[in-house]
Amino acid sequence: MCYGDDACFVARHRTADVLGVADGVGGWRDYGVDPSQFSGTLMRTCERLVKEGRFVPSNPVGILTAGYCELLQNKVPLLGSSTACIVVLDRTSHRLHTANLGDSGFLVVRGGEVVHRSDEQQHYFNTPFQLSIAPPEAEGVVLSDSPDAADSTSFDVQLGDIILTATDGLFDNMPDYMILQELKKLKNSNYESIQQTARSIAEQAHELAYDPTYMSPFAQFACDNGLNVRGGKPDDITVLLSIVAEYTD
Amino acid sequence: MPPVFPMLTVLSMFYYMCLRRRARTATRGEMNSRRAIESNTRALPINVEIVQYAKEVLDFSSHYGSENSMSYTMWNLAGIPNVYPSSGDFTQTAVFRTYGTWWDHCPSARLPFKRTPATFCSQDYVELAFEEPVYPTAVHILETYHPGAVVRILACSANPYSQNPPAEVRWEVLWSEAPTKVNGPQARQFTPSIKQINFPTNLIRLEVNSSLLDYYTELDAVVLHGVKERPVLSLKASMIDMNDIDEDEDEEKYGCGMDALNKQFSIVALREWPSNGYFDKLPYELIQLILSHLTVPDLCRLAQTCKLLYQHCCDPLQYIHLSLQPYWARINDTSLEHLQSRCTLIQWLNLSWTGNRGAISVSGFSRFLKVCGSELVRLELSCGHFLNETCLEVITEMCPNLQELNLSSCDKIPPQAFNHIAKVGSLKRLVLYRTKVEQTALLSILNFCSELQHLSLGSCVMIEDYDLIASMMGAKCKKLRSLDLWRCKNITENGIAELASGCQLLEELDLGWCPTLQSSTGCFTNLARKLPNLQKLFLTANRSVCDTDIEELAANCTHLRQLDILGTRMVSPASLRKLLESCKDLSLLDVSFCSQIDNRVVLELNANFPNVFIKKSFTQ
Repeated sequence: MCYGDDACFVARHRTADVLGVADGVGGWRDYGVDPSQFSGTLMRTCERLVKEGRFVPSNPVGILTAGYCELLQNKVPLLGSSTACIVVLDRTSHRLHTANLGDSGFLVVRGGEVVHRSDEQQHYFNTPFQLSIAPPEAEGVVLSDSPDAADSTSFDVQLGDIILTATDGLFDNMPDYMILQELKKLKNSNYESIQQTARSIAEQAHELAYDPTYMSPFAQFACDNGLNVRGGKPDDITVLLSIVAEYTD
Repeated sequence: MPPVFPMLTVLSMFYYMCLRRRARTATRGEMNSRRAIESNTRALPINVEIVQYAKEVLDFSSHYGSENSMSYTMWNLAGIPNVYPSSGDFTQTAVFRTYGTWWDHCPSARLPFKRTPATFCSQDYVELAFEEPVYPTAVHILETYHPGAVVRILACSANPYSQNPPAEVRWEVLWSEAPTKVNGPQARQFTPSIKQINFPTNLIRLEVNSSLLDYYTELDAVVLHGVKERPVLSLKASMIDMNDIDEDEDEEKYGCGMDALNKQFSIVALREWPSNGYFDKLPYELIQLILSHLTVPDLCRLAQTCKLLYQHCCDPLQYIHLSLQPYWARINDTSLEHLQSRCTLIQWLNLSWTGNRGAISVSGFSRFLKVCGSELVRLELSCGHFLNETCLEVITEMCPNLQELNLSSCDKIPPQAFNHIAKVGSLKRLVLYRTKVEQTALLSILNFCSELQHLSLGSCVMIEDYDLIASMMGAKCKKLRSLDLWRCKNITENGIAELASGCQLLEELDLGWCPTLQSSTGCFTNLARKLPNLQKLFLTANRSVCDTDIEELAANCTHLRQLDILGTRMVSPASLRKLLESCKDLSLLDVSFCSQIDNRVVLELNANFPNVFIKKSFTQ
């Protein structure tokens, strides 16, 4: 089953490189709304904000807020909701600034270990924080978190740090140690190797998602909450893999 | 030999005419280098063409989008195109606030100034800065929706990025044409053939007129082709255009700089002629009437012919209504000084678009108003970026009879300066679109200006509480006929209720893009029931407008002429049919992006109600 509700972008402006992922909430499909429209438009709008320099590198929440506000300025009546995770690398200060709303997220791996990670934001089981635009009659009923509710962090990064940004399709199916195993195979920081590793991570997660007996992180969490389930969680999987490297034009 | 002679003669004739033309504007040094042209063989210097997109949008008169947004705002005109060659109504384009003639046919429409020269029909403008000054060889305008609005392209001699203020700011028209109807909304690259100019420029201005268009025009990018070195006269221009030369005669006499216009204004008294022929037999009033059809520069030229006409042309009765907007590029302090003595009785003054880049100073403006403000009834100062608090103070003190004040897009006026406007108790029309007027000042204005009939607060972002503003309006501005609350971010049903109860004479109400109005509160029903005189109602992008609201409008507002319900999912064809049947005067209905109203429905409605323009925009 292919959902296609995830969206992502990569953009740069002057001293900053910006990555973003968004996971469209599939439940809208039941009401005749295409869930990919919201996440896709949100990511494209954030990308345009970055390319046009309408942001501050140390304030990724600002990118989300501005992006969300722009969605409301569209003549087209957009509907839907999504999580969002924005990661900004400021090349001059060597700092990583992040904003995360919902259950997408990022990992920072240094020397084979996770040194930073995002926290999942959930209201309750399988209901992450989400930006949304609801039809007027459903306002108040539909979950709609403010962009300000996003978690934001800032920290220094070093050459060689691996930053993995992904939607929950990855984290729900692949625990950290498996991800780290794959990342160990990354020998150098050229584009092809990174592309290869990202692909293999996503493919592995995809396989695990359809394994009915596998105790996925999602199943583990469900069990911890009293739901007796096993197996992976079929979902869209988006993986953005990046390495902090020497700057070349 | 014989075959060569005629050739040389023709060529040298051609060069002679071009040299003569150049001589008027060239310096001696340039003349010397032009001697090289006279020989038949010359080596053309390699002049590399530079192609640039606009670096920055510096100034503009209006736009559709919100002040902090990148959707449908003028800033999208800078940089590479985002949409072209696709056609459609996209957020990433530059869109002006109005189109067609709809704004000329609603209660807030203003009477035009007479004596507008036929060559000036611009309604909006945008100014773009490019990185490198060049001698323009071509300008491409990428239009992505309803093209055909551009009517003038101008180039400025001042470099907006230079540290030193320019010695002289000169604008030259690169191309100009009356608006023509372009069929269809499809994207196009517009490349008019532009005139060669003799200064490098990196500041281009587009002026538009959308009156012939069916919907909003949208521009994606502007490309400037030019060369760094002044181009040598090319043999391509081998047709000797008589019109061109005539224009040059004019240029010589009147120039294209400010000095020339000011020279015209500064009419010098002439010696008396013994007889003025038939003019001596015509009554004074008749000559005045004839002269009233001349544009102001022509009036000034006529004044130089004889003493009788000088007397007529300097009569303040010829300057009761004066529009200097068509001459915005050439009006400065000196112009105002020259005009002062003739404008003592002036009642309508249009200085929109004038005075920027240092052309008019605060003191020059103040001096003029001190002499000429006493009878002023209507003052247009749209896009007057030179205006500051002192100017507002002077206006309100020197113009006790002021009834109409237009400060549209005067974004340099500080928020508290608007307090002065409250002193003008006779105000009937006030336009504050895109200004920084703040809450207290506006409340003060509404409190004291109880004669207000037309008020525009579109995109006034510094107002914190529109409900309070509406409440004050409902209490104090009982004569209000038109109200523009476009993009007023926080007005709610409470404000609407106060407005509907207090301003019963309202005929025009623009509530476009006001996100905090919810149909479920009954606010639109309330409006419909309390304001039966409504002719124009814009509920653009209010996603909660529903069938009930349309039905209430149909039942109560039968004089409705213009309705915009863009972007709602909740209105069905059935309620629209009821509306169209009930409101016989309806001429504009915008149902763009209304999910239930597809093209088939529009066609059907068009067939049954042929007098209504039903607009349905598209994005694909």
